[in-house]
Amino acid sequence: MNRDSPVVLEISVIEAAHLADLVGQFAELLAESPTDGSLLPDDPALARLVPDAYRDDAAAAREFRALTAADLLQRRQDEAVAVLQDLSPDGEPWDTGGLSDDELTETVEIRLPRARAQAWLRTLNALRLVLATRLGIDTDDDHDDGDPRFGIYDWLGYRLDGLVAALDA
Amino acid sequence: MSIALPDIDEVTRSDERVDPERPWQTVVWNDPVNLMTYVVHVFREYFGHPPEVATRLMLAVHHEGRAVVSEGPREQMELHAQAMHDYGLWATVQQAPQ
Repeated sequence: MNRDSPVVLEISVIEAAHLADLVGQFAELLAESPTDGSLLPDDPALARLVPDAYRDDAAAAREFRALTAADLLQRRQDEAVAVLQDLSPDGEPWDTGGLSDDELTETVEIRLPRARAQAWLRTLNALRLVLATRLGIDTDDDHDDGDPRFGIYDWLGYRLDGLVAALDA
Repeated sequence: MSIALPDIDEVTRSDERVDPERPWQTVVWNDPVNLMTYVVHVFREYFGHPPEVATRLMLAVHHEGRAVVSEGPREQMELHAQAMHDYGLWATVQQAPQ
């Protein structure tokens, strides 16, 4: 494993546009959710990102959250914004409206230094956690093949898995 | 050899369940979302474990529902738990069972 070489992520234009849309929504969700750190976020999807660190000691769990939650959620937001920048290097949102099928399936190469790839991993994984909460995934068997949102969830997992493989190669 | 006994005034945590003789642990819990490959990667990246150790820990989480990933002082275990939360893993801190 070369710990210095960047990883190259190859995704299609249509995937990059979808991903930018999802990550953008995630960043907005985080931005709209002010937390003073000591409280569990009202939104269960955000609460999943700052879980209890003590199972049988509510006071210790509260104290831990007060010290860590605001920082963790801020990091999620900063890293989501970083991923968005990587996805649209010119800073413009993807506009796929006028593109042909060929153009939509063209491959985009995204070069990520290793530290940045870690931010991508955490962001993709956090997105999956948020989607899983929205979809009510509580066990390994909670999956509805007919629901397109599960398709997005699986696709994020596929991309996350590929990025992990590239980093650990 | 002299044995330094802890001064009672030095005990800053008042929790009576805290037994200074028992180490603290960081525990990672199973969940249906985090991919197995991702969990292995996190254990390698953060703890610096070789692949086989990281994989063994991941399998313990997956099959037994939880695994102790570190043991030591409480503050250190809280740092580990925070790092695991940063990666989206569900980690808790506890004192080692009697």
